Amino acid sequence: MSLGKLLERILQLLPVLLGVSLIVFAMMALTPGDPVQIMIGDQSVTPEQEAALRRDLGLDRPIHERFFLFVTDAVRGDFGESFYHRRPVADVIAERLPATIELSLVALIVALATAIPLGVLAAIRKNSVLDRLATVGSLLGVSLPGFWFGILLMMLFAVHLQILPVSGRIGYSSEIVPITGFLLVDTLLRGNLSAFWDALSHIILPAITLGLPMTAILMRVTRTSMLEVLRQDYVTFAEAKGLSRRRVLFRHALKNALIPTVSVAAIETGSLLGGNMIVETVFGWPGLGRLVVESIFLRNYPLVQAAVLFYAVTYVLLNFAADLLYTALNPRVKL
Amino acid sequence: MTRLHRIALASTVALCAAMPVAEAKDLTVGFTLDADTLDPANHRKRETETIIRNLYDGIVTRDANMQVVPEIAESMTQVSPTEYDFKIREGIKFHDGTEMTAEDVKFSLDRITVDGAMGDGQTSPRQGLMGPVDKVEVIDGTTVRITLKEPWPILPAMLPNQQIVSKAFVERVGTAGLATEVNGTGPFKLVEWRKGDAIIMERFDDYYGGATDIAPVGPACVDRVIFKVIPESASRVAALLAGDVDIINDLPAFSVAQVKNAPDTDVLTVNGTRSFFIAMNMEGEIFDDPKVRQAAAHAIDKQLIIDKILAGNAASIDGILSPDAFGASELPAYEYDPEKAAALLAEAGFPDGIDVTMDVEGAFKDTAEAVASLLTKAGIRTRVAVGESAQLTEKWRTEGEPKSGDMYFTSWGNGSLDPFDIFTPTHRSHDRGNSAGYANPELDKILDAAAVEMDAEARAAMYREAELIVNADAPYVYLWVPQDIYGVSKRLSGWTPSADSRINLHDACVE
Amino acid sequence: MSAPPAPALLVPEAPQKAESIFHRNLATFAANRLAMASAVVVVLFVLMAVLAPFVAPHDPNETDLFRRMQPPAWLPGGEWSYALGCDALGRDILSRIIYGARISIFIGTAVILVATSIGILAGLASGYLRGWVDVVISRIVDILLGFPYLIFAIGLMAMMGPGLWNIILALAYKEWVIPCRVVRGETLVTRELEYVEAARALGASRWHIMLREILPNILSPVIVVSTIRMAHVIILEASLSFLGLGVQPPTASWGSMVADGRAFILEAWWVSTFPGLAILLLVLAINVASQGLRDAFDPRFQE
Repeated sequence: MSLGKLLERILQLLPVLLGVSLIVFAMMALTPGDPVQIMIGDQSVTPEQEAALRRDLGLDRPIHERFFLFVTDAVRGDFGESFYHRRPVADVIAERLPATIELSLVALIVALATAIPLGVLAAIRKNSVLDRLATVGSLLGVSLPGFWFGILLMMLFAVHLQILPVSGRIGYSSEIVPITGFLLVDTLLRGNLSAFWDALSHIILPAITLGLPMTAILMRVTRTSMLEVLRQDYVTFAEAKGLSRRRVLFRHALKNALIPTVSVAAIETGSLLGGNMIVETVFGWPGLGRLVVESIFLRNYPLVQAAVLFYAVTYVLLNFAADLLYTALNPRVKL
Repeated sequence: MTRLHRIALASTVALCAAMPVAEAKDLTVGFTLDADTLDPANHRKRETETIIRNLYDGIVTRDANMQVVPEIAESMTQVSPTEYDFKIREGIKFHDGTEMTAEDVKFSLDRITVDGAMGDGQTSPRQGLMGPVDKVEVIDGTTVRITLKEPWPILPAMLPNQQIVSKAFVERVGTAGLATEVNGTGPFKLVEWRKGDAIIMERFDDYYGGATDIAPVGPACVDRVIFKVIPESASRVAALLAGDVDIINDLPAFSVAQVKNAPDTDVLTVNGTRSFFIAMNMEGEIFDDPKVRQAAAHAIDKQLIIDKILAGNAASIDGILSPDAFGASELPAYEYDPEKAAALLAEAGFPDGIDVTMDVEGAFKDTAEAVASLLTKAGIRTRVAVGESAQLTEKWRTEGEPKSGDMYFTSWGNGSLDPFDIFTPTHRSHDRGNSAGYANPELDKILDAAAVEMDAEARAAMYREAELIVNADAPYVYLWVPQDIYGVSKRLSGWTPSADSRINLHDACVE
Repeated sequence: MSAPPAPALLVPEAPQKAESIFHRNLATFAANRLAMASAVVVVLFVLMAVLAPFVAPHDPNETDLFRRMQPPAWLPGGEWSYALGCDALGRDILSRIIYGARISIFIGTAVILVATSIGILAGLASGYLRGWVDVVISRIVDILLGFPYLIFAIGLMAMMGPGLWNIILALAYKEWVIPCRVVRGETLVTRELEYVEAARALGASRWHIMLREILPNILSPVIVVSTIRMAHVIILEASLSFLGLGVQPPTASWGSMVADGRAFILEAWWVSTFPGLAILLLVLAINVASQGLRDAFDPRFQE
């Protein structure tokens, strides 16, 4: 990839981000509901105090002025203060981000670790019982409402069998001093194995719940592309040359077959990040998705605006990563 | 489930079993919400206050019977209708070991009541909870005087809402720092705030002991307290049943039987302070007639709904006040009588009944639907419309601006159990919570006078009079005050729920 | 039809070929037993929805607090006239599932119809006209793709307020992007094909070429994608219900039944489990059927 292409990509990002900002800002502004009234709730207040609160939140300014301020501040990396947390929005989001990213990555790993072997097997033994089972299983995976499946898992493993915790990210017996913010990594780096297993036992159910639809999609992609690759001439040729089938499969076919899987996985990771608020709610996972949804309901404008911008940037970057991966795995493709 | 998953699961299980058991002296609360901030002066949320109250103490607090008792103060004297003196205890330490003084108390109250005192020109969002405070002074080394601009009899009832911070600490870390750092005088110190997940606290060994009127006095019983955030109610109940937590708040009424029947868990209840009622739009063309409003009141079998949906955990009300509130009295009841309701409708000119919509927030959808089907049976054909809280507030709390809509199933909290906090906002003309659009100048006069009446008896009589006026006008159908329901582990002792929804864990112990 | 003297006729290859391929593909699909069975299941669900008033044993909205959380017939306390038990307001779960099929299928179909129509038009314009039209549409698509789907839908629901049509709009606002991308991609390829160029040379109007020449030939992948997305939309409706933004009571939708019943899952598992199974069955059937469609219709998946 040339530097020019890279610059072009980054330039393309700008109108997208501006558009996303404008839409999310307009959406929040047009939504009925007054943050000041929500915040005061049932408690007593004088009109002067209400006005003071409105001024403190910056809501007394006209709408176009607020948008202009939002954009100019955002360019400088200042996303304002969360109405409720009374701290910079960027800090509040940064605190929740590691949990969301960790959950998404583990879900991704679970999905890849299940989908690739199953997809390959299904392709090799096409039309076998295994293939059909895997097909139906994967369709089942995309057909389950996530929250329902999550609750069922929780009932089974946490309440009835009591072998996994109900909710949360890790137990509270040990103090975790963050290094990366990812508990699974941090506990290992600190050499605290029991805390690692504790964190793992907490993440397993939410990760399976979140990763299931993705598993299904990736399995389909892997199976299809594997089938395609197996039909290619060079595979037939390699087999004809007398190379062992195993060697052909793993040395030649798999590498090529995984290209679409990997790029689909990169793109789907974006939807994992943005789609985990339901899993986070069910499992009490302290991630960003839940916070954003709560913030929409509470009309916490600055937080919603900043979070959506973050999602948009992530999405664009992941797409970019998908393209890079695609080129790296398949040198014939030029960007 | 795939083979890979099974292997992963099996190994996890094996290792979980090998893990050391958590220390026995941890008390974990499964709590609905995380704190917004840990700054006692910079939020407006009950749940946040519940958490903060274990870290910070106030000048006064409430005992289990909602009586206001001195906490950091030794005594409280009302010098004149507008002046209150608080003698501050000596020898109280902040978590950092420094001594707390009357200056810290003044500083904390100033921070809440003075315009712009939070820094950056910001005013504390809790200012409104302190009433018409004129000034706060330290009059001798250990006495703090609060002077009001005008008499405000409920100051003592509202004062437990505020907590004392360290002046030196705030000056050092600033309002920004106070959002996440804690240096209070409460029974627990902050260990770690895992945002969105849990707030971990540990016992403060130099604790002065807390309110002398609430036994036992001394440091907290448990080593650590953990407020674990579990927003989803089924998950909260599951965590309790699985033994992951020792207390859960907001136990749904339908789960009471299950939690009671489980071997290791029990249910504790306390009379709540939130009154539920249905507002009828008196500016509209249907509910401007008192007969129609009375018909609605007669059409609802409150007891049936309390028994069936709330599992008996609520007290029926005939006026806005909870039976436990100051000035509450027995009122004429609108008995369940669908025929009378139909007759009243006919008298009002609607022999064929009426078609109306009832707005409700999602959380109370079931109850509202049950109420709607009762109304429908009596000729008030009611369609339930679920809306988001923010939208409904804007639609109904119009403060005198024109309203749209027919009925609104809603509620109003009254943590102080004083009528001023609930009667005035919901019934005074154009007030914030007056969603019925009720306007009665005679009533306004009584409410305004009662707000500043210092003689308790006379004040109670005024609220009695107000209740009777409202009872005849029926701007709302008053429904019930639900109990707050908590699920607890049987290894917990020394804790009882409190009507103000606080979870003070100073006295709580676990086996 | 008042189309200009069909230049298509002079280019015999394309439409005719599409027709015969369609028939052959249909035969392929019919031969796929699993897919056929799934299609039958989908049809049965649709019939159930249409005939709900005749099939349902009870009024789905009739409440009876004395039947609150009555268990299904085979459990102690159940009775066969309320075969799958009752919900928190004593309503018959079976009847609500039968009526709920109407809402879930309607939402799925409506969103996909709206989204696919918009997506086809935008995709054709974008892919065929190129130029600034393509730039504008592609930017809009990029912007919408940058929003997480659910957060966008939640924001729209908060803005527009509750209601069946608002749910459909909230989901369709972003859903059209997917058929749009598919159509654009296919159009970019198809517009260079000989028969399209021939039509162009014969002076056919741009709209004629887009709608009459290109569209019929790229419809297969669009239909395949749309059916898969329909399954997805039904699940999204359930997710909106989970977040309290579902259909208005007392209307039953499967999503709202599962979402409302989840609170009672420890006490009365049947309230949310049966509608959950209904979603699972219908969505699975749609997915399997559309898989069959794809295998049969999309040349890239043919042997």
